[in-house]
Amino acid sequence: MLHRKIVKFAVPLAAGVLALSACSSNGKSGGGGKSGGSGGGKTVTIGLQGPLSGANAQLGINVKDGVQLAFNQFNAKPNKPFTVKLATSDDEGDPSKANAAATQLIQNNSIKAVIGPIFSGPTKASEPLYSSASLLSITPSATNPQLTTQGFTSFLQGIANDNLQGKAMADYITKKLTPKPTKVYVIDDKSEYGVGLANVARADLKADGVQVVSDSVPAGTPDYSGPAAKVANSKATALIYAGYYADAAPLAKKLHDAGYTGAVFSDDGAKDPQLVKLAGTAVNNWYLTCPCTDPTVQASTKTFATQYTSTFKTPPSTYSAEGYDEANMLLQQITKLGAGVSRQALLAAMKTADYKGISKEFSFKSTGQFKGTDVWIYQVKSGKITFLGNVNQLVGSAG
Amino acid sequence: MSGGTASEESFRRPKVDVARLRRDAWYRRPRWRRLLGFVVAGLALAVVTGPQGAGSTALMSSLKATFTSVPRLGVCVGIGVLLWAVREFGAPLRAPARTAQDGVARGVAPLRRFYAAGVWPKLAVGALVLLAGAVIPNLLSPTWQVVFVEQMGVYLLLAVGLNVVIGWAGLLDLGFVAFYAVGAYSVAFWTGSLPVQPPVVLNPFVVIPIAVLTCLAAGLLLGTPTLRLRGDYLAIVTLGFHEIVYLVAKNADGFTGGSRGTTKMIPHPSIHLFGLDYNWMFDPLPYWYLILAFTAILVVLFSRLENSRIGRAWTAVREDEVAAQASGLNTVRYKLMAFAIGASTSGLAGVVYASKVGFINPDNFPLLASILVLSYVIFGGMGSIAGVLVGTALLTLLPQWLKSYVPAEDRYMYLGGLLVAMMIFRPQGVIPSRRRQREIKLAESGVGGADATGAAGGTTS
Amino acid sequence: MSSFLDYLTLGIVLGSMYAIFAIGYTLVYGVLQLINFAHSEVFMTGGFVGMIVLTEFAPSRPHGFPSVLWMVIGCLSGMVGGAAIAWCLERVAYRPLRKAHAPRLVFLLSAVGASFFLYNLCGKLFGRTPIQVPSLYTNSVLFHWPGTSVEVRVNQVVVVGAAVVMMIALDRVVNRTKLGSGIRAVAQDAETAGLMGVDIDRVVSRTFVIGGLLGGAAGFLYGYAVSGQVVFTMGFVPGIKAFAAAVLGGIGNVRGAMLGGLLLGVIESFTVPLLGSEWIDVAAFVILVLVLMFRPTGLLGERLGRSA
Repeated sequence: MLHRKIVKFAVPLAAGVLALSACSSNGKSGGGGKSGGSGGGKTVTIGLQGPLSGANAQLGINVKDGVQLAFNQFNAKPNKPFTVKLATSDDEGDPSKANAAATQLIQNNSIKAVIGPIFSGPTKASEPLYSSASLLSITPSATNPQLTTQGFTSFLQGIANDNLQGKAMADYITKKLTPKPTKVYVIDDKSEYGVGLANVARADLKADGVQVVSDSVPAGTPDYSGPAAKVANSKATALIYAGYYADAAPLAKKLHDAGYTGAVFSDDGAKDPQLVKLAGTAVNNWYLTCPCTDPTVQASTKTFATQYTSTFKTPPSTYSAEGYDEANMLLQQITKLGAGVSRQALLAAMKTADYKGISKEFSFKSTGQFKGTDVWIYQVKSGKITFLGNVNQLVGSAG
Repeated sequence: MSGGTASEESFRRPKVDVARLRRDAWYRRPRWRRLLGFVVAGLALAVVTGPQGAGSTALMSSLKATFTSVPRLGVCVGIGVLLWAVREFGAPLRAPARTAQDGVARGVAPLRRFYAAGVWPKLAVGALVLLAGAVIPNLLSPTWQVVFVEQMGVYLLLAVGLNVVIGWAGLLDLGFVAFYAVGAYSVAFWTGSLPVQPPVVLNPFVVIPIAVLTCLAAGLLLGTPTLRLRGDYLAIVTLGFHEIVYLVAKNADGFTGGSRGTTKMIPHPSIHLFGLDYNWMFDPLPYWYLILAFTAILVVLFSRLENSRIGRAWTAVREDEVAAQASGLNTVRYKLMAFAIGASTSGLAGVVYASKVGFINPDNFPLLASILVLSYVIFGGMGSIAGVLVGTALLTLLPQWLKSYVPAEDRYMYLGGLLVAMMIFRPQGVIPSRRRQREIKLAESGVGGADATGAAGGTTS
Repeated sequence: MSSFLDYLTLGIVLGSMYAIFAIGYTLVYGVLQLINFAHSEVFMTGGFVGMIVLTEFAPSRPHGFPSVLWMVIGCLSGMVGGAAIAWCLERVAYRPLRKAHAPRLVFLLSAVGASFFLYNLCGKLFGRTPIQVPSLYTNSVLFHWPGTSVEVRVNQVVVVGAAVVMMIALDRVVNRTKLGSGIRAVAQDAETAGLMGVDIDRVVSRTFVIGGLLGGAAGFLYGYAVSGQVVFTMGFVPGIKAFAAAVLGGIGNVRGAMLGGLLLGVIESFTVPLLGSEWIDVAAFVILVLVLMFRPTGLLGERLGRSA
């Protein structure tokens, strides 16, 4: 009986292996053009750590494509001083997979610097490793303020942290909305990103004398009707939702159904073309803040958007431009220092460097915190995310 | 109802005649129906290995590509038909394989007898495995060393613990990782890495007994009211327990740091004892030795336990709780004991993990993790420590290994397929315990039910 | 008062979706004493098939009768999709194990494996980001609760209406038809039923199909009316809830699943204003544990054969 079983097991297994090798359609995730043969000259490798699979893969892929585009453009230059190659390492957005992903990049001696990690949780987990290896890790998207207070020596936060975005929302609500809301409802999605942002907004609103009503709706909650009804029943005139678009969209629909008519603010996690696609008209007039400029709107970045779209068959999305900028910033520094630069030298140079990218200007405080304090605001108007401007300037001009 | 018992065997000839009398249309005959099955399987293979879809921009792109690329489709269906042909007409092909297998079995038999003879051969094999476990990671790249510690090693501890609960006592626990979380948060608390400060800040090593006791208490707390529930009700209650622990970790911002996790790095463990000074740092290898030592100790302890009075009591509870109770066994007590032992092992794993990585947040402990540990245990072979270890090692390393062969996002699809195939072709697991092997054999021949959860309910068909 | 009615309405809508979803768990449990962990993928399939049919074939803004017709077509295709997957599941992942008289945990792992396989396959084929389900009509207010300002919208009526129709149909199938008595017979004592000439394979297969029809419908209703979008992981959380609902009512008991689903929906809905949305799941599970402590076999007791 047992022997027959083994044969029964072995045959399909062998066949399966055979089939995989025969049938496999080298279906590596679409789009990412090959970075070309090394040609002549030297090759420099840059690492990228982020979620390339799993439920949160989209943000990782956005960044990866932005970086890849920068590298493609660099490698296409006729007089390039070296060839640049991308080495990706997938952490699935999961803190418990982060160290393996980081180690994979650290042990690869040809890697001079790492872009990423993308999420704050994996960043917290793997940053001690990068620090002990003196390998620069520059994140385009991990916004947790705690990341720059823990003494990580090789971490650069290439984005304004949650404190700024939460404050920008609060500022805009108290200074620009007319009539000034007296009661603001703040919802977070229980992700570390949403909670951080919402807490700052709550504190700032309270400091401004606004009454704050709080709720937390965990991401992936099946039904947003209840939370939306609670918002409508609270008689608040403004709402902040701190979370990602996949949850903001159903919330928008339910808010509409519940008859809520106040202003709604959300964050860069929600600022995605998908939000409008999913929620349709329900999301009209939503305000979205982002410490990022919109690559499809600003004149300086229009070329980036067209090239990105033609390469990857999809328009650039959240953090694509940041990835692109950071890649170019690294390339600029490596060009300056030579392809044989050591990790430590590159790290030191990047810490003090100043680079004007298409999304914003990159420079860092000694802790690795982003120097700039700019947050931009957008509004959804008839199915399009339109650019309103820089919150600091808007709020300032309002007095 | 169609198990191949001996009595049925002898009636095979008349049955064929009956079939002839029935005159089924050709396409209704089993052989051709199986061909249909294999062709469908071939098509499924084509779909599964097809290109990645493009989401809402081109909804059907992947399926379209699969069904318009004739060569690939042809190859996949061809494989299906080939397999069918081997299955139907491949008896001569299989014969040599079977004789070879018999030969191997015969060759191995004396070794097996030697192994089963006494305790010394087992100890020798155990020592060899331990030695291999100590040497192998040294030969691997650092990435794999990290994978060994953080993705495999921790789960080895978890699986050894869950094996006590599910493999020996037969309690279906779907919330096992909750205790892992309790252990990890204990170490975070006692090292002062949470928003709430402990009375004294301790070294992670010193926390181990505290964490283990905390988990023990948590296990008793959960177990006392719920262990009277039978099989599947226990499953949902433990699942609920997991959700509750997970959500409390996530929602109690003031205590656990909420979804942002620990506020400070959890310090690495260090030993300062009897003139011995050692600090664990970022290097994964020392942690691997630590895990290896813990696993070895637990394996020895647990296998002593299995053959003790307690182990036999667990078996009795698992096989037939009513009968066990009737013969004077305090079943709740033994169930609690299994539960608590499992919980404290899980807590130990939590301590090791948290102090290695230095950072935890609730996302480290999703419900999926509980289900995965359960899969490792069943896959390896419930009730057999060797099986559980091998199963965990295989399944935790597989996704990492697959990374270089299939698109990363498809790995869990193949893992799922493997689990189903494994359960169909080898339900007893990779290395089954001898008892379970016998049970499944008996069940196959229709004698008794091989029921692990000990439920006395209706028989399955 | 008005907000009480408000949350009650929402709870009933969510609860009726849980209820028809939970029936799939309970039916399979009744017949095989097996937790069909892959039932959440049946739900997901229902959502996806409905979404695909509506996206690919339905006109962009139908008016009047056609919009109702397309709604029904979407729901039916979701049901067929769900049933097809459930049938395949039984054929591939369960029947071989049943023939081998495998222990129940083996079924459990097979179900977990099938679930992993299916939802990842779906993510691969249709992308891993949420996909909108086209809206067929404006989700306007249908009526107000008498004497209050509490609104009831079309989608809410659709979900509850569809659930009620399906539950009545199911109740009749289980209690009045030959197939139903077959199901009850197998649930009570499979061996004896087999000896009495019930074709057990066929009954089990059809039980899965019935569960699949309802699970697919729940998936479609969820995707269309509750969340407005489908994503490959959509089955997981509702699946656990529906399973909890089935246990709450008494697993194996069809009416129990209906009651448990409704109750769970209402509990969740009232948790939002009373405790805050982050405690929804905690409240649901705490109540489940409490109920099981005092009524160890759920509210209505188990056994499909006796009480349904």
